[in-house]
This record gives sequence, structure tokens and C-alpha cells, in this order.
Amino acid sequence: MLKVNKSGVMASVQDIGRFGYRHYGVCRSGALDPFAVCLANLLLDNPVHKAVIEITIGLAEFEFTSACNFALTGGCLNAKLADKAIYPGWRYYASAGDVLTFGTSAHAQRAYVSVEGGFELTPVLNSCATDLQSHFGGFQGRALNSGDSLNYHTSSVKLNTLGVKQPPYSQQVRVLKGPHCDKLPANTFERFIEQSWRVSELSNRMGSRLLCDEPLNHEVSITTQAVHPGIVQLPPSGEPIVLLNDCQTTGGYPILASVIDADLRLFSQFGANQTCQFVPCTLAEARKASDKLSAHLAQFSLAKNNNN
Amino acid sequence: MSDAHSYLLGENALVLSLNVNAPSQAQQRKLFALCAALKDSNAFIDIVPAKSSVTAYMANPNDYQYWLKHVMLLWHECDDFAFDAKTHFIETIYGGEFGPDLNDVAKRACLTERQVVQLHCSQTYQVEFLGFLPGFAYLGKLPCELQLPRKTKPRKLVPKGSVAIAEDLSAIYPNQSPGGWHLLGRCQHTLFNPNNQPPSLFAPGDKIKFVPLKEGVC
Repeated sequence: MLKVNKSGVMASVQDIGRFGYRHYGVCRSGALDPFAVCLANLLLDNPVHKAVIEITIGLAEFEFTSACNFALTGGCLNAKLADKAIYPGWRYYASAGDVLTFGTSAHAQRAYVSVEGGFELTPVLNSCATDLQSHFGGFQGRALNSGDSLNYHTSSVKLNTLGVKQPPYSQQVRVLKGPHCDKLPANTFERFIEQSWRVSELSNRMGSRLLCDEPLNHEVSITTQAVHPGIVQLPPSGEPIVLLNDCQTTGGYPILASVIDADLRLFSQFGANQTCQFVPCTLAEARKASDKLSAHLAQFSLAKNNNN
Repeated sequence: MSDAHSYLLGENALVLSLNVNAPSQAQQRKLFALCAALKDSNAFIDIVPAKSSVTAYMANPNDYQYWLKHVMLLWHECDDFAFDAKTHFIETIYGGEFGPDLNDVAKRACLTERQVVQLHCSQTYQVEFLGFLPGFAYLGKLPCELQLPRKTKPRKLVPKGSVAIAEDLSAIYPNQSPGGWHLLGRCQHTLFNPNNQPPSLFAPGDKIKFVPLKEGVC
């Protein structure tokens, strides 16, 4: 069992998300950094989409009640296993009774923990992601609390230490131009690109709210349409919202841009008051960036198998 | 000239959008028929209708150029009567503790509570789309006499099953949540259960009739 001694600011069970139910109003949920989920699972030879724990901001503490090979990915939240520092991008072995703790960091917001074989969970609507708004999926449909415990199969063999390079988390986010730019005041998209944006402390897993000194005010209204994680909405206040995994399935604000799939993971690490900059790119470049991430996984898989 | 256009939203989402904000009934039926045609193609992970558009998430985004054109063809070929809607009867207790805004709505519409209930039940509604919460269906159209803007101060907690109205729409809260709609009554139906298949009682395009129960205003 993995016992939750302290849940910290927030910890929840997430996988790469829930698909196929958006027309019923069911959001994607899932890890803000699905790539980190895949890496954490690959490090342990798990199926890549097994559910992991997403630790937000840190200050969490877990206890392994039996031996366990586990992996840590995502941002560095100054984790320690049995009082020894451990680092994201590596797999480790915990003996029965070992305690895993997370500190905090000014530069990172989220870390991911997977265990060999995955946690024992029942999928709901084909996913083990926690729908935090609607209270289903994951562990009892909610964030983890102290006193909870998650079951896993005890590891019989201690695996060697193994690491993988994680693609960097940058402040530069590539975007595609949105469909409503020609309805918005002239140069709104250009002004969005030119200035730096500050992440508001009101940001959460539903969306990252952005602030700046010269907001992009407007009075344009559009008909409600389907939206999804990555879409950048522009409310009349002129402060854009980047929709993230827990966002609603429909929205009525003009769509200014969309963050490319490969860069959406960057929002998993933006904390309050951090700055980010948007860079326009083409559809071909967006696809190439996704392919590059897939190639990264494939290469690691191959390298790992060759070394076994 | 066509009454719709298609575009790619982000990398994976194909959108067919009508050139008008408020579709006619024939266009509305055609949108649901289009959803069904897209579903039959098995090329999409999710197909999400909204007020005057359909967004379909491609399983293979490399096919987007084909689909940008093909969705327009499908739209023009769609028969607006091809869509066969399911009808749900929703038994509702109006007024009293279950419909705390019924009195206020009646006053603002210069009607009696009974007239409001009669008007609300007189209509066959259609699920235009779902959103906001899982299983939360936007039901059009509310009779003109009952159309009011949303409440200026949303409630922090609207009870599960609340039957509500705002603007030109009606809705039922599938679960307890905050909300700014006017509450007329409450029903006992389970609208969303993630352990059911499908999880939502209502699907886009379904027809809804409200039936007043004797326990309340009727």
C-alpha cells in the first residue's frame, strides 16, 4: 500500500485523461503533463497510460508499506526517499516502511509518481483520471487526503536505478492563431504575442489566467461552442485564459489562439506570478513538435530494451 | 452561398460552424443529423454539438484536409429529418421549497405561479447541447413570456434535480452545484451517473417534456 501521510497542497490520481464523453459534458481531466505520465510508466515497464499520482506544489508525504519500484517525473519538488534526495526522471526502489516526501520549489509546480504495475483502481468511463469537479474516477472521485491508501502489487525484485532525460519546461509557449481573431479589435493577436504574460494566482486545473499591464479588452460575443484544453479564450476583460484539463466542454468567449499539444504540458509547471511568452507557429511545426515528443518516448523505450 | 463553413481548431478539432448565431429548427435538426453521420464514419474520438456548430475531434489529425472538405459535403447532403429524437418525460414538483424562484418569476412575468408552470410544461424542449457540468443539458426553447436574464447573484448551492430557466433556455441541474438560473421546481430523475452506460440520461437532440406533479403547483 501507498499510505498518504500528508496530501500537501493537492495530490490526485490522474492518467492521460478521459475521452469519448465530451458531448455529455464530461471533461478530459487527467495529468496536466501527460508526457510525464508516459515517462513515469516507461521507467517501470508499465503500460504508458497507467494512472499516477499528480502532486501539486508539494509538501506531501507518502509511505510505502511494502517494497516498491517507483518512478518520479515532472518538476523538481525537492523529493526525498528515506531522507535522501531523489530527482525527477528516475526510477527508485523503496523498502517497506520507506517514506517519500516532497518539499516545494519556486521553479516547479507538479511532480508525478508511478509504481511498478500501477495502482489498483477501477476505471470510470474508461479512465482512472479524477474528475475533481464532478467527483468520480481516480481514488473515490476526489483529491487524496491524509489517511488514504492506494493498493499496488509489492515488487518482488529490486530494479536497477534508471533515468531518462525529460524534455525541458520552457517559458516559451507555441500557439496557433484562433478562429475569432478577425472579429476581435485589430492586432489583438499580435498584441497577445508581443507582450509577456503573468500567471494569475487564480489559476487552477481548469485554466491558467493570464495578466499584463495592457489587457486586450473587447466587446465581442460569440455563440457557445465546444472548447478543449489548450484553447486560449479572451473574455471581455482582456485577460486571456488558457484552458487546461479540467475545463468545461463548451465556452462562449472568443478564441484567440490555441496552445500546441506538445507545449500544453508547460502549464503544469507555471506557478502564480511566473511569466510566459507566446510564440506563433504553423500547423506543420505543431505536428513536428508532437512527433518529437513521441520519438523521445520511442527512443527511450528502445534504449531501455537494448540495455536489458 | 453556403450557410456554414468549416475550419480546424487547434491541431485535432474539426469545426463546422453555421454562419448564423441562432439556427432555424431545420438547421438545428440538420446539425444533429450531421453528428450522426460523423459518428458513423468512426473517424472521431468525440463529437460535440453546440448552439450553431459541431466540433469533431479527429482520431487521425493527418486527415484534416480531407475532413475540412468532406464535412461540408456531409452538411449539404444531410437530411434534416434523418435524425430520430428520443423523448423523455420529466415529472417535476413545482414551487414551494423545490422552486424557490417560482414566485419571483411569476411576478416579473406578470403571471400567476400556475400560469408559469403551465407555460413551462406547454413546450416540448430539445437538448441543444450539454456542457457546464456532466449531464447538464441546455434545453430550447423557453416560451417568450418566461425569458429572463440570469440572476444577478448566483446561488452558491443549487440542489441536484433543480428545474431551472434563464434567457431562452431551461435546464435541470444533474448534481448539486453553484448556479445562476431561476429555480422553478425539482425532479427525482438521475441525469448523470458515471457508472451507467451511457452516463447521461440526455443526449444532444433528445426531446424533453416536463410533467407537473400534484405535490407542487400545477
